[in-house]
Amino acid sequence: MPLGAPSAGGTAYEGAAARTVRGIMEYARWPQRRDPMQLCVVGPALHAGQLGAFRMADGRQVQRRNVAANVAALVGCDVVYLGQLGVPLQRQLTAAVRGRGVLTIAEADPANASEAMFAFTYQPRSLSFRLNIDAVSRSGMKVDPRVLRVAKGGL
Amino acid sequence: MVPKTTNKLPTLRDLLARAHLRLILFTVVLAAASLMLSGVLVIRAYAQRNLELMADTVAYTVEPAVVFQDRQAILDGMTSVGATRGIDRLEVTDPAGQTLARWDRPHTALRGWAVSSANALIWPEPARADVVQGGTVIARVKVYGNSGGILRYLLAAIVIALTCVGLTVLATRILARRLQNEVIAPLDHVAEVAHSVRQERAFEKRVPASGIAEIDRFGQDFNALLAELQGWHAGLTSENAELQRRATHDGLTGLGNRALFDQKLAEAVAESQRSGTPFALLYLDVDKFKQVNDEHGHTSGDAALIAVGDRLRGAIRHIDSAFRLGGDEFAVVLAPFFNRSHVDGVVHRIRTAMESPFRMPGGQLATTSLSIGVAVFPEDGSTPELLLSQADTAMYRDKESRYQAGPEGAENNA
Repeated sequence: MPLGAPSAGGTAYEGAAARTVRGIMEYARWPQRRDPMQLCVVGPALHAGQLGAFRMADGRQVQRRNVAANVAALVGCDVVYLGQLGVPLQRQLTAAVRGRGVLTIAEADPANASEAMFAFTYQPRSLSFRLNIDAVSRSGMKVDPRVLRVAKGGL
Repeated sequence: MVPKTTNKLPTLRDLLARAHLRLILFTVVLAAASLMLSGVLVIRAYAQRNLELMADTVAYTVEPAVVFQDRQAILDGMTSVGATRGIDRLEVTDPAGQTLARWDRPHTALRGWAVSSANALIWPEPARADVVQGGTVIARVKVYGNSGGILRYLLAAIVIALTCVGLTVLATRILARRLQNEVIAPLDHVAEVAHSVRQERAFEKRVPASGIAEIDRFGQDFNALLAELQGWHAGLTSENAELQRRATHDGLTGLGNRALFDQKLAEAVAESQRSGTPFALLYLDVDKFKQVNDEHGHTSGDAALIAVGDRLRGAIRHIDSAFRLGGDEFAVVLAPFFNRSHVDGVVHRIRTAMESPFRMPGGQLATTSLSIGVAVFPEDGSTPELLLSQADTAMYRDKESRYQAGPEGAENNA
């Protein structure tokens, strides 16, 4: 995902991050269709500045919600966007939603240790993501295999 | 004269070979062209379907890559499914027409020129498919066909057609040779027979059976015509011989006549002058012939003449020749001799032969005698006329001497 023009006061990766999250959501299938869906941004996020409410291609509404970094706060979330959190906390949070049909995306997981389904990787001029197949298979969700072709490396 | 013109005319074999060649060439070219055309059309229809399928597959495969705006992923996706033999170019554009990714089949210069010309001819329009997400067109896929497969098919078809044409020419020649053996050889037989009949009068030749109905019928008619000709020719020849014999022979005795005698005597004189060998001429007259005619009738006279002729023929040698000059007068031209005793021997044999009796028409037996005059060339005469007159004179001397000798002597000269 090439970087777009940075918005005033945001990071260079904000636009790309928002588009990547939307793209991943387009190719994810939840066990139950819900409308509207809850996109929970957990903890302090660095690149989630442009991640607002939007409408998916099939018409479902997506609402953004900032939540605290604890397990109890994740109730009702369809997508968990992990912000700048420590790896143990990230693992704790992903373990809490495992098997419940919740899409997990980690913003700050360079070592791929968070056990989130998707993790951002940063290149100088673009943003891409890795896919943790183990996490996907245990998530209770389905991800279109064509996304594998777009993902860079991963487990 | 005839063979000169036939050299310029085409032979039957040429005509047959040419007709066969044209017919088979026409068939081969027609079959090859229709097979080629239908083959190209069928292959093109399948290839077109393949292109459309490929466009759909590429659109499906690259959809996430387009969503994530990852050009490298688009390229990887489309080459992994689309870079097959039948495709010349793959192109993914955004809805506005800007190229997102493009793949071209690598070409060598010369073959590339031929193939891309053929591509433009066979695939004027690319197969298209849209990349749709949630009802919105997010990219377009274009697939351009590669005509290499069709060109290879065409090339193989042309090679096969040319091979067939070559085999055709060969087969035509063999066929023409066989036809010559089966059809033209019998015709040649007829021509040969006709030629030898015309040149050598070989009327006894016949055309052999050929084993082909039409030519056999022709040959049979030709043979029948030859048989008729042979009959006519034989009749004409024997009639001519009979006429010739009648002109030179005496009808009663079968001896040569006066005309033949004159001819033979002249020949004998000429031959004797040339060789220097003498020959003798005998002049003979039947004694008392007038008396026989008067007393016993003409039939008895004829019987006497026939008896004289037979005895003359029997008494002379085969190298001598006897003639009846007319009435009761006969002549014998003797072959050249080296000894006068040969002549006397012949004269003696003639007189002896006359002594045996012959049967008259009434049944009674009778005898007759001859007066014989001999003249020898060139002693007694140097021309046929002189020789004949000398022999005549000698004959009269003989008749007179024998008349004085006894009552059964010579007849009165009429």
